[in-house]
Amino acid sequence: MRKCFIAFTSLLFLFLIASRGYCSDPMQQLRVTVDKVIEILKRPDLKSPDKEELKRKLLGEVISERFDFQEMARRALARHWRKRTDQERKEFVRLFRKLLERTYLRRIEQYSDERIIYKEERIDPPYAIVKTVVITRDSVEIPIDYRLMQRSNDWKVYDVIIEGVSLVNNYRKQFDRIIRSSSYKSLVDRLRKKVE
Amino acid sequence: MKKIDMELLVGIFVIAGIFALGYISVNLGDLDVWGKKGYTIYAEFEGIGGLKPGASVEIAGVTVGKVKSIRLTRDYTALVEMEINSDVPLQDDAIASIKTKGLIGEKYVEITPGGSEHLLANGDKLRETESAVDLEGLLSKFVFGKVE
Repeated sequence: MRKCFIAFTSLLFLFLIASRGYCSDPMQQLRVTVDKVIEILKRPDLKSPDKEELKRKLLGEVISERFDFQEMARRALARHWRKRTDQERKEFVRLFRKLLERTYLRRIEQYSDERIIYKEERIDPPYAIVKTVVITRDSVEIPIDYRLMQRSNDWKVYDVIIEGVSLVNNYRKQFDRIIRSSSYKSLVDRLRKKVE
Repeated sequence: MKKIDMELLVGIFVIAGIFALGYISVNLGDLDVWGKKGYTIYAEFEGIGGLKPGASVEIAGVTVGKVKSIRLTRDYTALVEMEINSDVPLQDDAIASIKTKGLIGEKYVEITPGGSEHLLANGDKLRETESAVDLEGLLSKFVFGKVE
């Protein structure tokens, strides 16, 4: 009886450690998401053009589990975010997300057996960096770093750095220039024109 | 009487000359004798591509501080210590990038201000950084990348 109890508690303990380690590991979480994305891209039943819509929907769901679009939009708008009303912020996040999807989903869909190597993670709670390298078929290495933020047990991506260029900083500069030279309204109009 | 006046004049002139020399050397040497008020922040970069201590820190092209020191961390990244003028508040989501003046000019740090409510205090670390873009690396990828 006692042996059984010890075995049980130790098993429970092991399980707890394992599940905790699993949860608090940003690289592992990112890997799960990326694997899910690749799985969807490889599914033969989604290859036909008329399934495009469904495929995009599935991809969107998987990606929004790991990517914090609101945080990205907030950081991209920077100073100008504070002056916006809740309604405007919501609308902006929606447009920004659409813009990213339009820009990057098409590239993701061109995926053809690129290898992804997870190099290292640096955790500095509540922030972390996961460094990866994508190796294309002609063996060109593209370094992609993900910056993540801890939200309870989940790690959420708030910036992606490709070849040393930050996505958030790129949009932050562009948005700032547009708002300065005309207005916030014209930025929203431009985004809307681009994504709709 | 007249002779003393002459000597006094020369003495004043010499003293003024020494002060001027002192002022010039302090100014040229970039020494902060008066302890210019500013606060120190740190930023960690993957590569700084030849950034030197004393390089300027700019926002929108305006110098708002300078690089005080650079050292290597245990992870083999570069830790850059910067002194920022106290009248320039920086948010904790500001992004620091290493840029080059012109195509082959000197390196400097450019900061794009963020929108967070938390401001960086003396001794804080700027988390968001962009390293120097490795032009040769990109070029070689462009040149040798395509096999097909």
